[in-house]
Amino acid sequence: MNAALGRSGVLLALAASVAGVAVIAYGLARKRTDLARTARVYAGLVLAGAVVATVAMQRALITHDFSLAFVAANNSRSTPLLYTITGMWSALAGSILLWGLILAGYIVAMVWRFRRQAADPLVAWATLVTLVVAAFFFGLMAGPADPFATVTGPVPGNGLGPNVLLQDNPLVAFHPPLLYLGFVGFTIPFAFAVASLVTGRIGEGWQVATRRWTLFAWGFLTVGIVLGAWWSYQVLGWGGFWAWDPVENASFLPWLCATAYLHSVMVQERRGLLRVWNLSLVIATFCLTILGTFLTRSGVITSVHAFSDSDIGPLLLGFFGVVLAGGVGLIAWRGDRLRSPGGIDSVVSREGAFLVNNLLFVLFAFVVLLGTVFPLLYEAFRGQQVTVGAPYFNAMTLPIGLALLLLMAIGPALPWRKTTASTLRDRLTVPAWVGALVIVACVAGGVRGLAPLGAFGLGAFAAAANARQLVLSARGARRSGAGAWRGLVGRANGGMVVHLGVVVIAVALAAATSFGHRGEVTLRPGQVAFSDGHRIELVRLAFVRTPARTATEALVMVDGHGPLRPAVSQFGANTEAVGTPAIESSLEDDVYLTVDALPAAPGGPVTIGVTVQPLVAWLWGGGVLLVLGALLAAVPGRRRRPTDPVSAPVPAGETGDPGGGSGDAGPPRPVVVAPAPGRSPVGTEARGDDEHAPEPVPARSP
Amino acid sequence: MTQTEGATARPELRRRHTARWVAGVILVVGAALVALLATSPPQSATEVDTPLVGQAAPDIAGATLGGGSFDLAALRGRWVVVNFFASWCPPCQQEEPELVAFAYAHRSPGDAALVGVVFDDAASSAHSFMQSTGASWPAVIDPDGQLALNYGVRGPPETFIVAPDGTVVVHLDGPVTAASLDHWLVLAKQGRS
Amino acid sequence: MSASSARRSPGRPGWVGWMPWAALAVVVGVALGVGSTHGGPPATVAERANAIDALVRCPSCDGISVADSSASTAVAIRQVVLTRVRAGQTDAQIDSFLVSRYGPGILLRPPVQGWTAWVWLAPPAVLAGAVVGLVAVLWRRRSRAPAPVSADDRALVQRALAERAGAGRAGSEVVTAP
Repeated sequence: MNAALGRSGVLLALAASVAGVAVIAYGLARKRTDLARTARVYAGLVLAGAVVATVAMQRALITHDFSLAFVAANNSRSTPLLYTITGMWSALAGSILLWGLILAGYIVAMVWRFRRQAADPLVAWATLVTLVVAAFFFGLMAGPADPFATVTGPVPGNGLGPNVLLQDNPLVAFHPPLLYLGFVGFTIPFAFAVASLVTGRIGEGWQVATRRWTLFAWGFLTVGIVLGAWWSYQVLGWGGFWAWDPVENASFLPWLCATAYLHSVMVQERRGLLRVWNLSLVIATFCLTILGTFLTRSGVITSVHAFSDSDIGPLLLGFFGVVLAGGVGLIAWRGDRLRSPGGIDSVVSREGAFLVNNLLFVLFAFVVLLGTVFPLLYEAFRGQQVTVGAPYFNAMTLPIGLALLLLMAIGPALPWRKTTASTLRDRLTVPAWVGALVIVACVAGGVRGLAPLGAFGLGAFAAAANARQLVLSARGARRSGAGAWRGLVGRANGGMVVHLGVVVIAVALAAATSFGHRGEVTLRPGQVAFSDGHRIELVRLAFVRTPARTATEALVMVDGHGPLRPAVSQFGANTEAVGTPAIESSLEDDVYLTVDALPAAPGGPVTIGVTVQPLVAWLWGGGVLLVLGALLAAVPGRRRRPTDPVSAPVPAGETGDPGGGSGDAGPPRPVVVAPAPGRSPVGTEARGDDEHAPEPVPARSP
Repeated sequence: MTQTEGATARPELRRRHTARWVAGVILVVGAALVALLATSPPQSATEVDTPLVGQAAPDIAGATLGGGSFDLAALRGRWVVVNFFASWCPPCQQEEPELVAFAYAHRSPGDAALVGVVFDDAASSAHSFMQSTGASWPAVIDPDGQLALNYGVRGPPETFIVAPDGTVVVHLDGPVTAASLDHWLVLAKQGRS
Repeated sequence: MSASSARRSPGRPGWVGWMPWAALAVVVGVALGVGSTHGGPPATVAERANAIDALVRCPSCDGISVADSSASTAVAIRQVVLTRVRAGQTDAQIDSFLVSRYGPGILLRPPVQGWTAWVWLAPPAVLAGAVVGLVAVLWRRRSRAPAPVSADDRALVQRALAERAGAGRAGSEVVTAP
């Protein structure tokens, strides 16, 4: 019953998406807006089908319906309820179902949000593109990755249960759905980008209108990645949180492109520049999500032999190829004709800073992609295996990270169009001294090593510069009567908070990786050892037996706190035993305990691995700041008049001021930046934000 | 804006094809990437190319599960099949009956010998595993994993075929069958004659 | 008057404004100089072994190093590394021993010699190319004459400034709209 219900849901969604594509295409060809308006019906049907299929799958899981092959492989009678529910996305076919459900939800949200412009061909094209993507994923579910395939042969009495590592921690309920909310969210901006290119209307506000969608998708992806790192830290037992392995890189690549896009779209909003570049970034982000899914799902990188195991690999790769060719082809076709007029005047300006920012992020993405794909390249050409591991990535991305920190400090202080060195110098003096003093304090405190010192110093510089912007913005908001809190919301100020989060994470990364230390202590029950300044006491061993888990735990007191319970656990019956770590976290450092060796005889010594890493808790705190900043940035700012000044005062006579004529003895006039030309059907492109925190005007001499 | 458009019309003509060129380059690179990812490596499913192939086989000496001792050097002059296994790995369980069949087929003295090495397993578990499947060949205990290290074993099951002169002829990764072992033996013997 | 024009008055040369930054540069330079020296005793055997372990891949794991893993293969490799470090072998000798057993894929860092050098050279090459491209584009733009300003443009700007002045903001010129 579940299989039939689920399969019918999938088929309904597939049929609705295909029909929607056909109807919209016909409506566009014949210019019949009434057909384009019916898109909402098909979107609703796709969502209905996805919901039915999901409900069927969850029902099958919860009632332990082992007639479904997926349930038999990923669920068992002894699996707790939480892991039964999350079992839906613990394997391939179910995760595609989750993707389809989230995609359907996004499509309905998009259709609803733009319902008043449903007759616009551009919106119709965007809906068409999203329905094509939906058709692909539901097509996968109808065929090769069928979550509702039934078992061949007799129905087993009990299933195998999910992968042991997926039963260990409740985070499995959050990490994949949030990650998918991020990945799938990029489909909407991609659809609008393609629609803009196809219709040739890229001068309007569509990209800006979908900016908030990109921001939300980016926010979810950020949370998903941070939670993934946290989960890996808590569960996998090696004490690290980021291993640069292909699955992690696959999720990081779209994040890098999306971050670059969120920055450069501001240049488009303000100056109308970089339109084609922004479209390319959006298309690249979506392509990378598909490539990432392919890399993760086909196993082509981690184990080349697993490629032939799943049929879905070639299809995903084919889809990636089609999307890449289509996107690149559209850009080639339209790109040159739709180039924006005007250009960047000076590198020393906010536009210049965003350009350098994009350069660095794209270089970062290139490094990550190259490192991930290189072993395949090498094996294909030389026949030998080579590993590109964490040392490569760390070495390559360290300078990029430091450069980005520096840019984060300078960028917010840079005005638009152009500025003088003295302006920059005046604005950044205090933050620079903060950074310098932090370096001095660290060196005095015994910190050694250019890389961590550089990270700490630049991080402090950036934090002070961004904090300065927030303070100025709050002050300005209060002065203009809107209330100081206004100075903390809106795109620019949310961005400052996000930068603060990035600084915190960068500092934490530098500290944890440079000064982490791994050791081992061998203790008998009741003995005490000291490791890296922490007192480790083994109380005793304990045996745990619950239906879900059998484990041998070591009860350990760390600095008198505890007891912590690192263990060797077995989840379910007849499964491999895995080490489960225990962590004592504080603001200063994390003590990470694992059971490395159980005693050979009862009462014998236990070998406990002790890893001490400073500032790990700051990583998660920084993640919270990132999310907070994204939420703040999503708050719509007050509608700013396009002619409000956004650049720094340029003293009269220093530049050929086109607006007022040089040689004027009048007060310095801010350079007015006109908004981008073109219609903006979705509201003024320069939609309010408090991006230009009013800088203190230098006092006039009497 | 009209005046500025006129002023920049000439350079516009020169730059007209930038996007097209860049797009072309990306398309070519992308196609190469897709082609690369679409082709699987030109190796058979289980043969592994490691540096040990063609080199002298590292010595295997130590206590066996049955209580005796074993030394690979004593088998010099015979073809030897070295099999790293564990009781907890499903492919090892899968290949064990095949190995039993192989051992039986080559039971005459002087014929190819079969040796097992326990990989990261308790001696008792490995012993009962072998007994339950009827395996009777010597299985060497590798308490600190040094034997596995010397042979570059990443994870069980891995099998090596050693020639009578002591060099490693082939390194197989994954569960083997009696037929495939015979096939490799024939190839190896041909290669040496 | 802005701060920079204040400094233009006689007696205060322009570079005076840069003095705090010069001092800052000196302070940071000294601090980094002190901070980059790794004073203290040379690495102990355990530290050396740990450093080598961090660059060797655990053969039966998913990309983590031997130092981070508790798998049996990792433990065995750590043991061998420790023995060889105690015996006085160099890092290169130990690495080549492991490569002779497991193949070049056992090292986490692709070797800088040979074909794998491409993975090290490609990112700096891409960076150089991108920087050159950007500089070329910006240079071409700068060497073009600035766009001529039409009377319409001037009128637009005057209108905008008048609007702002009409809203009561200080610091702008008041011009009646045409």
